[in-house]
Amino acid sequence: MTATPDATTVERPDTTEVVQLELPWITLVWDDPVNLMSYVAFVFSDYFKYSKTKASRLMMQVHTEGRAVVSAGSREEMERDVQAMHSYGLWATLQKSDE
Amino acid sequence: MTVFRHRRRGMVAAELPPYAAGLLASLVRQLVELLSDGEVRATATEDPLEAMLDLGSPRDTPQDPALLRLLPDAHRDDPEASAEFRRFTERGLRESKVADALVVLDTLGLPDGEYGEADLEFELDANQQRAWMRCLTDLRLTLAERLGVAAEDDSFWAGLAEDDERLPIYEIYGWLSYLLESLIDAARV
Repeated sequence: MTATPDATTVERPDTTEVVQLELPWITLVWDDPVNLMSYVAFVFSDYFKYSKTKASRLMMQVHTEGRAVVSAGSREEMERDVQAMHSYGLWATLQKSDE
Repeated sequence: MTVFRHRRRGMVAAELPPYAAGLLASLVRQLVELLSDGEVRATATEDPLEAMLDLGSPRDTPQDPALLRLLPDAHRDDPEASAEFRRFTERGLRESKVADALVVLDTLGLPDGEYGEADLEFELDANQQRAWMRCLTDLRLTLAERLGVAAEDDSFWAGLAEDDERLPIYEIYGWLSYLLESLIDAARV
């Protein structure tokens, strides 16, 4: 699967790469029956500065699989991301990446 | 009728009938009350020992399911870590949600019953748009929790009897969904 790179958007590293680099903590966003799909995708591109393609893919993963890893990094960074997701009304948690 | 429209330079223009502006302002004020509810006296304790122990910081999970949905646990299977996270972040999260609500109230401008006959017109910059989105979401989460909205239950709500007391609340919930969708459409280029 290939995605068209969005030249105007600086992305964080892709999650799969991140795990290989052994960033120890991850932020998960969980599916809920209330939040609009358009809103969840908007939040992912607005807060994480992900491309529209990546934001939509993560949103669909939350929707179909019940959850998605949306960021990885240090515990402090993930705590910041989780709190930001809560401020947007998304249901997010953090955990160690190997759990 | 489209409520929110894209304008130049990332601005969004909005037009709301007076009764809608009044209803929204009333809902937002109730949300502010909910967010301020159950908070342990947070400020300036007289007792230096209590201040040192920081008893004012929230540690307990909120009992009200709607409040718990707005301020969820940050660790899925680790109550201790969740309590610790709450202790350091919950007050800030409540304050940011109240700040968003105040942005909405500020743009709506007038207290209940003073909206007159004319449509309310205003413009939102990028920061105000985000505050509106987060606040509309908090309202939707709260109403959904009160109603018991679950996944894939649209047909249940569509089939509510006309005299069901949940119907007007569900209609407001649907209207808030429409407002949010309209705002997202207008905000993204």
